[in-house]
Amino acid sequence: METIMYLWGGLSEVITPSNLFIVLLGSLLGTLVGVLPGLGPTSAIAVLLPVTTILEPAQGLMMMAGIYYGSMYGGSTTAILMNIPGESSSVPTTLDGYPLAKMGRAGSALGIAAIGSFSAGIIGLLGLVLFAPFLADQALKFGPPEYFTLMLIALLVLFNLTGYSLRKSILMGLFGFFVSLVGIGMTTGMPRFNFGFSFLTGGFDMVSIIIGLFAITEVLKGLEEDRTARKRVKIKRVYPTKKDLQQSKNAILRGSLLGFFLGILPGISATITSFLSYDLEKKLSKQPEKFGKGAIEGVAGPESANNATSSGGFIPLLSLGIPASPPLAVLLAALMIYGLTPGPLLFEQNSQMVWMVIASMLLGNIFLLVLNLPLVGLWAKLTEVPFGILAPIILLVSVLGAYSVRNSMFDVTVAIIFGILGYLFHKFHWPIIPFVLCTVLGPKIESSFIQSMEMSSGNLFIFVERPISLAILLLAVVFLVISIFLMKRTKKRLMQETGEKMEFS
Amino acid sequence: MRKKSLRAAIYSFILAVVLAACSSSTTSRPSTSGGNEKQELAYPTRQIELVVPFAAGGGVDLAARAVADYLSEKWGEPIVVTNKPGGGGIIGAQYALKEARPDGYTVLVNNNSSTTMYEAGNSNPTLTIDDNKFASRIAGGALAFGVKADAEWKDLKEFSEWVKKNPEKLTWASVGPSGFSAFGVAEWLKAIGADFKKTSMVSSEGAADSTAKVAGGHVVLAVHTVGELAALAEAGKIKLLAVSSDERNPLFPDVPTVKELGFDQLTVQWWTGLSFAPGTPDEIVKKWDEAVGQMQNDEAFIEELEKIKLEPAYLNSSEFAKAVKEEKERYTKLAEEAGIRK
Repeated sequence: METIMYLWGGLSEVITPSNLFIVLLGSLLGTLVGVLPGLGPTSAIAVLLPVTTILEPAQGLMMMAGIYYGSMYGGSTTAILMNIPGESSSVPTTLDGYPLAKMGRAGSALGIAAIGSFSAGIIGLLGLVLFAPFLADQALKFGPPEYFTLMLIALLVLFNLTGYSLRKSILMGLFGFFVSLVGIGMTTGMPRFNFGFSFLTGGFDMVSIIIGLFAITEVLKGLEEDRTARKRVKIKRVYPTKKDLQQSKNAILRGSLLGFFLGILPGISATITSFLSYDLEKKLSKQPEKFGKGAIEGVAGPESANNATSSGGFIPLLSLGIPASPPLAVLLAALMIYGLTPGPLLFEQNSQMVWMVIASMLLGNIFLLVLNLPLVGLWAKLTEVPFGILAPIILLVSVLGAYSVRNSMFDVTVAIIFGILGYLFHKFHWPIIPFVLCTVLGPKIESSFIQSMEMSSGNLFIFVERPISLAILLLAVVFLVISIFLMKRTKKRLMQETGEKMEFS
Repeated sequence: MRKKSLRAAIYSFILAVVLAACSSSTTSRPSTSGGNEKQELAYPTRQIELVVPFAAGGGVDLAARAVADYLSEKWGEPIVVTNKPGGGGIIGAQYALKEARPDGYTVLVNNNSSTTMYEAGNSNPTLTIDDNKFASRIAGGALAFGVKADAEWKDLKEFSEWVKKNPEKLTWASVGPSGFSAFGVAEWLKAIGADFKKTSMVSSEGAADSTAKVAGGHVVLAVHTVGELAALAEAGKIKLLAVSSDERNPLFPDVPTVKELGFDQLTVQWWTGLSFAPGTPDEIVKKWDEAVGQMQNDEAFIEELEKIKLEPAYLNSSEFAKAVKEEKERYTKLAEEAGIRK
């Protein structure tokens, strides 16, 4: 197995004091932002992106990946202790996690959630290791038309997933695409849509837009909602009992496999898989009446599923350059800043770095498991930090982050404008995820379309004449049908459990 | 309600303070006048960004990484290479020359595509060579013609015959309509008497992207330096039809030179070099030029260049600027004849 050798090589490079420190720092920071209300993984990665550019590219990516999976761990803590799902994918965790906590079994729930997340992370990584060489073999066969159909379809499927009407999603996507057009043309080298302003010639910086939409918007939302810290439940025991483990073993395995295999498909989000897993466990259980009142399987399954989906998401990200969720979209932007164009060629041209990052994810998951169980009490205390202290810190870091990308005040203005826009979008129920994805993928979509047209002398049939491209289109129809079906189901379940419409990812 | 408005007021105050801090740091640029000549130049004191306006893995990128490794060790400050591809190198160049602060901590690694060729190919260019303060040329390379490994042609001669008959079937990859490859192709087509306008360009982000497209059969021809084509040629995925150097390349002794095949008017040569934004202090540019000059006398660096398959081609600031100007005039003529100039 060649890939095992690569992974081994990656591991041996990660094991240096400075690399280990970076991985540790990333996963701890991730847990922290996952626990703190008002700062999700997307804004955390976006805000810290400029900071990571002082690191070597491999280290920067290891840290950002750590923030990503660390925040997944952290999110479950607030869901269980305070009944606050940090993200929509944690909603199923609250259903049984919070009742368990009220029964004095918070430790069991947290412990099982951590173990479930860990094993799901490992299964996801195994999948990545097995899947990568297959894609790398196909690398050169992917030309511009294949990329174009792939991205177009992925976007369409993702649009369907926002929880809002398809029409609103497409409009927001087009708006995002328009924003990405501003600046110097990808293929022509000439400025466009700058309306004669020289500050627009360089285009919008993705990072400042993302900082605005996620971090600054969050501060504005918090101001309005007047968030006060909610009482949390006391933790008695941190480690789950043998009986808990026995009960959740199968749920963890099922959740991981379900999450991973659905997670590879573009457009299946962690929210979908965690709800599916919750319902699956309920159906398989001998005592379905216990669900909702404190069934440990109801925590184990969804927690494993959403983590497996997140690590499964790295496969389309690294091998095809398609982000399945906003935090992955920011990671994609980061990869591009570091000069790594995700896609089949990434494994061929930068295999050393890719395997180093993959190996670091393995270690990071181990760190999280080892650290999170004993530290659970500390994380729980952190949830009490009042928003009044957090908000100014978020604002400060956001402004500095946006400024430091290109050392320009223009980017700070952009971040603030998009922060206000993001708040308005939220208030009037317009989805921002299609906007972000289109801004990030816009230049790539544009250039692969133009390249396809250059190859075929302007013949649009090139997209259906090439076998791989045609296969992608046909598969897309199948995915779209599946995802519309799953989506309807998930929307209904979210309504049932939270009683409100949520944008989810 | 009062509490809320108080909080809003506090936040807006914090925001205002931070904004003020940021904007004052833009205006307080380091003084560019060398008032105190005798004082040792305190540069670099922090991280330097080396901007490569092309995708990673191409010749410019590899040269930039070699320079970054060498000088960061020498100066004891990190030098980070960032890739900003697109727009034929203009997106990255615009960033380094116009958007970044001209304090010497953002350095552009240029080549023909983003300078002379871009200006030659556009009658109304966004950036001109006058927007560059040229520091030094680092390396050069002869170009080679590469096609997919299982293509039917044995050498450039056979390929030329095919192109003359089927110009509309020829697609070639280039970072832009006025990129390095475009000039290489235009010069060759002019030499064999084929119609450049009938062929079509497929835009790419850099040599690594172009060669992958040729190896995958998406584009027919890639014209790049031998070094840029070497990886996929050695892997048996690309076939080299000719090299345009005077002698055969030691890496590929079986590939004939263009001269051997009977072409002799091919002069397009590739180079890469460093430039700064016009407002950059002279002392800093001089420090870089001296450092690059010394570097070229160091065996270790020359070995690095050999590893990435580039040839040393150092020119100091004034020679470099002169060579660039001369090249621009030559290419403008070629661009007008071939119809590249827009």
